[in-house]
Amino acid sequence: MTATMTVPPIQMVAPHVVIRVKDGDLRTSQMALLGVGAILLAVSLGLGMTSHDPARFYFSYLTGYMGVLGITLGALFFTMVQHITRAGWSVGVRRIAEHVTAAIPVMALLYLPIAIGGFDHLYGHWANAEIVAGQPNYDAIIAGKSSYLNKQFFFVRAGLYFAIWIGLSMFFRRTSLKQDETGDPALSLRMSRIAAPGLLLFALSTTFAAFDWIMSLDPHWFSTMFGICYFAGGFMSFLAFVALLARWITRQGYLREVITTEHFHDIGKLMFAFMVFWTYTNFSQYMLIWYANLPEETTWFAHRKEGGWSSVGTILVFGHFLVPFVLLMSRHIKRNAITLSLGAAFLLVIHWIDMQYLVLPNYHGGHGTEHAAHVVDPATLSAAGHPSFGHDLDLWLHNINLHDGLCYIGMLCLVAGITLMFVRKHNLVPLRDPRLAETLSFQNI
Amino acid sequence: MTAITVIDEPENPLRRAPLVEGTNDFTSVTNIVARVVENKTPKGWYLMFGAAIALLLNLGAMIGYLIFTGIGVWGNNSPVGWGWPIVNFVFWIGIGHAGTLISAILFLFRQKWRTSINRASEAMTIFAVMAAGIFPAIHVGRIWVIWWVFPLPNQMALWPNFKSPLLWDVFAVSTYFTVSLLFWFVGLVPDLATFRDRAAKAGRTVAARVYGAFSLGWHGSNRHWIHYEKAYLILAALSTPLVLSVHSIVSFDFAVSIVPGWHTTIFPPYFVAGAIFSGFGMVLTLMIPARQWLGLQELVTLNHLDNIAKILLLTGTMVGYAYGMEFFIAWYSGSEYEKFCFTNRAFGPYWWAYWIMVSCNVISPQFFWFRSLRRNPMFLFVVSIFVNIGMWFERFVITVSSLNRDFLPSSWGYFSPTIIDILTYAGSFGLFFTFFLLFCRFMPIIAISEVKGVMPQANPHHGHDDHGHGHTAAHTH
Repeated sequence: MTATMTVPPIQMVAPHVVIRVKDGDLRTSQMALLGVGAILLAVSLGLGMTSHDPARFYFSYLTGYMGVLGITLGALFFTMVQHITRAGWSVGVRRIAEHVTAAIPVMALLYLPIAIGGFDHLYGHWANAEIVAGQPNYDAIIAGKSSYLNKQFFFVRAGLYFAIWIGLSMFFRRTSLKQDETGDPALSLRMSRIAAPGLLLFALSTTFAAFDWIMSLDPHWFSTMFGICYFAGGFMSFLAFVALLARWITRQGYLREVITTEHFHDIGKLMFAFMVFWTYTNFSQYMLIWYANLPEETTWFAHRKEGGWSSVGTILVFGHFLVPFVLLMSRHIKRNAITLSLGAAFLLVIHWIDMQYLVLPNYHGGHGTEHAAHVVDPATLSAAGHPSFGHDLDLWLHNINLHDGLCYIGMLCLVAGITLMFVRKHNLVPLRDPRLAETLSFQNI
Repeated sequence: MTAITVIDEPENPLRRAPLVEGTNDFTSVTNIVARVVENKTPKGWYLMFGAAIALLLNLGAMIGYLIFTGIGVWGNNSPVGWGWPIVNFVFWIGIGHAGTLISAILFLFRQKWRTSINRASEAMTIFAVMAAGIFPAIHVGRIWVIWWVFPLPNQMALWPNFKSPLLWDVFAVSTYFTVSLLFWFVGLVPDLATFRDRAAKAGRTVAARVYGAFSLGWHGSNRHWIHYEKAYLILAALSTPLVLSVHSIVSFDFAVSIVPGWHTTIFPPYFVAGAIFSGFGMVLTLMIPARQWLGLQELVTLNHLDNIAKILLLTGTMVGYAYGMEFFIAWYSGSEYEKFCFTNRAFGPYWWAYWIMVSCNVISPQFFWFRSLRRNPMFLFVVSIFVNIGMWFERFVITVSSLNRDFLPSSWGYFSPTIIDILTYAGSFGLFFTFFLLFCRFMPIIAISEVKGVMPQANPHHGHDDHGHGHTAAHTH
């Protein structure tokens, strides 16, 4: 019976929907994004790698990299979740998410500077540790985990993560594009079936990538929650990213019937939910470590009270939770184009600050680092009394540099440019997705 | 009564499967739910109710004995100061998570299939939280000063320790109970009014009076419905954070400590995932026999069971992820105590409990990768029992296996439950089932008005060209 039917082409369901970007349209924006992204990154890489302190540069690079990687992984997660839940509201948004995941191979390329130039600067603490018993600087803890934290296995794992992410993103993107042509509803079933093991692989690879690439910067520290914290921030930021990008595309006259106020409202709700989920995971992690007060765990937060980072902790409490919580709670703010876009842009900035908080203190007075000279001696701080927020803020602004911004913005522009390139190249919506009609008539009550 | 249709078709992405199967309309849905209450009480009900009451009396006897004798009647010892009472508390609280998740979170996610299972699950939640609340209360020993847990101004200027998660539990659980009860009751009002009207029509005056009192004068006016829908949405939004916070705070009871195996940062979401897992396990345990015996197969369809099985697979695998992370980080941390604790869990004196836990919670839901097993009620029922067992053992493993090996070998011990422990735990099932059976006998066990709301007849475009909303499917029998 109906199972053998194909999905009718969109022209029959909704003849008014524009399905392709006009030739040459949006080209300037795409080129500008790609160009600006490439230039910013190239300038930053050129200046940074040749600077007197390349180590500092690689920490900037990692900050931007992990921030933007989280967004592209968020897109992959979003795509798979829409399939596994057979979501009807999101078919149009999903096509943009599919194109964001097309940037994951580029993220794999952008990993090369970390792998080639940055590795010793970033991960030297465990990679160059003395793990032979009896040696003068023998580090028993790192020696204990050297079967996991060693250079060979580290890169094997990195390869595995990218293989999983690229494999999954290619499968979902290509199958969805194929359905545009064939209209075969069985492809939808196939995608929802693959999404289940896909999400399992995604959860494991993202967790261990967060362990490897951020948590191991301080190889003595550990937290079982860390992978989830990283995922939560990345997925929230993807929703912010797609809210902005989709808004911009609709402003250019496309997708207006497919991604309406109703859909933006839903994206806003999800963004709000995962902003709160980020808070939930980070609060739990902080509170439990603070409460138990075990030195091997508190060390990580202790370093984040130095070098002005405690001001960033405060900024995150307000910027990553309290302020967006109060504002995004409102239905009106989520349904208003300008306020939702402002909120999304704000969260993208906060995500960048969150990544700084995870990565940079490992350089500034981080664990056992040789860069401690940059840091104000904690002894002088306590002698002068508890440092004020303003003082810490000054110190933080003094400690971050241009590269922290250039790398994040550069990669963000590149990902946006790549997404736009594919948006222009392919159909704007999954033309023959069986649930497209639901998307078009979707309304929040 | 017409024959019951059970539809088991392959999934077709071109249309949404109907939520109500068979040739039902609004009248027949009301009849299906109302006849459960209006028919003569079946003999089986009396049998089960008798057993439940016997267990409940046994609970009363055990609690009486405990209060008059002291908590030495339990197996709790030094170093295992937290034994079965805390295990049972967390077990029941966990079960109490599915109801509000179904009625609040699935509501916000527009999962319309929830409508036929939410009422019974919410009832389950309330009774499970009641069963849970008993254990910490009787564990305080001097139960006559239980009011000290509340921060009441008193002449001794004695206050509870606000820094203690045990106190946060008092607030979290009582808030959760209150909001769940309100949510359940608000949802019940229109259906109770239906029961009232039917009872009045049939001349059952007492029943009409009682249902009438609880239906708060509901007569289904437009105004009533507008208020009702708003209240429902607000309660759903309020309940959503509660679903996460209650079990997070229960997890803090353990995780704020420095006890290896208790203190780990993943505990809050891990406990929440486990709670949802156990709650849905209990939903299946209750709903599979109920739909069979009470003839609800057209409302609680195979698709419903399929969806619940998927949630079990998801949350069971999440729990497996947490077990894995704990093990990995225990090794990765380099902390000898952490390593010892987890080796001890898997291979120490409680190895059997650990592997029962892993088999039931992680391995048994893996069968649900297969659609045919997700749609086999008998198989689902068996696995749901394993889930209940596994989740009790999870709390047992966490509590006992961490405590029985203290930092000093001189403080090592072994915990064995006494007969009082076992009978008290069995008695808590008596409490739970007594209430649940009464609920099944006297209340609308399916949310009649909500189920009607997701039927194609409720769609204003019903009968017109509805742009393939998927509702057309309901016409194709």
